[in-house]
Amino acid sequence: MSASDLSQPGAHAPGFESLQQAAEWFAVLGSEDATDADRQRWQAWLDERRENRDAWRYVENVGLQFDTLQPDADDPAVKRALRAANRVTSRRKTLGILAAIGGAGLLGWGAAERAGLRRMALAWAADYRTGVGEIRDFVLPDGTRIWLNTASALDEDFGPTLRLVNLVQGEVLIETAKDAARSFAVDTPHGRLTALGTRFVVRRFDGHASLAVYEGRVEIRTAESGRSLIVESGEQATFTAAEIGSPQPATRAGQAWSRGMLVADNIPLRQLIGELSRYRPGHLGCAPEVAELSVMGTYSLADTDRVLALLEDALPVRIRKTLPWWTTVVAKD
Amino acid sequence: LQSGGRAQVIHSLYSDHHGWLYRFLQRKLGDACDAADLAHDAFLRLLARPCEFDSDEGARAYLSTIARGLCIDLWRRRAIERAYLEALAGQAEATHPSAEHRAIVLETLFQIDAMVRRLPEKVREAFLLYRLHGMAYKDIAAELGVSTRMIKRYMAQAMLHCLLLQAGALEPAGK
Repeated sequence: MSASDLSQPGAHAPGFESLQQAAEWFAVLGSEDATDADRQRWQAWLDERRENRDAWRYVENVGLQFDTLQPDADDPAVKRALRAANRVTSRRKTLGILAAIGGAGLLGWGAAERAGLRRMALAWAADYRTGVGEIRDFVLPDGTRIWLNTASALDEDFGPTLRLVNLVQGEVLIETAKDAARSFAVDTPHGRLTALGTRFVVRRFDGHASLAVYEGRVEIRTAESGRSLIVESGEQATFTAAEIGSPQPATRAGQAWSRGMLVADNIPLRQLIGELSRYRPGHLGCAPEVAELSVMGTYSLADTDRVLALLEDALPVRIRKTLPWWTTVVAKD
Repeated sequence: LQSGGRAQVIHSLYSDHHGWLYRFLQRKLGDACDAADLAHDAFLRLLARPCEFDSDEGARAYLSTIARGLCIDLWRRRAIERAYLEALAGQAEATHPSAEHRAIVLETLFQIDAMVRRLPEKVREAFLLYRLHGMAYKDIAAELGVSTRMIKRYMAQAMLHCLLLQAGALEPAGK
């Protein structure tokens, strides 16, 4: 979605209540103390109503007004200009602040970026997206099928020589359609993956990304160091913008989510809970005394409450709901 | 035709009041060029949002309200421009942006200023410190001498103001 689309809020003007809530969310998420739980509740709020998403688009538009002052906080000109701003009298302080930034013509998202606001905003404006707990498949214009895992977003940018998609957030399973004239590639901030085969999963994490190949081969090329590695079918590897980890065997759990299943193959409970929490709005955590319990089984992702109930039956654990969106797995009394 | 009729109304407003408005603005601004520009702008505003007047006094009261808004707008623009150029003057020549870039930056600053102008001072400063300087809430709180909790309230207030402006629920500043 382009910036011009963003500047044209939808036909439905959001009501006062949605705008007020959007402003509140802006204030909550902009804080350095914002937690993942806050962000998940924000996501749930977005998913709740179209009107809320429209209201959030207005927040984005306000942000766009500031974006012309391009980000580059490290420029020494900024620091000089900032000192100049501190010398202006308080009456003219606002003007000084504005001028200092303008003087540098720089700076930008700052705190908003820290809070991941921008990424989240991009994610919901993406061509394909899923909410928390949602798993959906889509067919791209060339016939390629994709499955988007929970809370994921993908932009499609097909050109005459390259079928490029950008994984904005989350995780995607891709089954490419044949096209001899155009190769297929997935961009992440950490590097580009070029499909030499057909079926693979890409997942974004905060500081890295992972690739698991189930059919064919995929080449990783890292964003900064330009390192490359071909990952073969049945292998998986993680990579950062600089480094690529050595390939490991791909687990069958890695693509089970595309069928709505969560496969636990003798994994610690904390890992299962970590995975499960991706599919639920709000916080889902696990007490340290039960974190290392071993779990085995196949669970349906469609109903995470049911999975928790099953765990309660199978393990010496209890599910504690402190608040509607705050759930912890603790030891049974 | 309705549009022909409207053009006629504007035309007669212009011939009846333009001279008066120009003199009014010249007295306020002390500059003939600025006064001519603003008088022109005031009629453009009138074109964009036509009103009917039942008397000359009504028309002149409305025109002078628009003109006063335009004066304030102009003064703020000048003040921002001056502060910006002063900040630039403090920098090495090599880092000076091109004239085109300066124009874009200034226009952006004017727009941002129009957006936040009507906010209470602390709310406005908190919002700008956050949004432009990327400062953390606790640092803004220290800077403005209020609690972090208050900063969060300021942020919500500032954003709601901007959202309502965007949704057309508030009159933009200087219009």
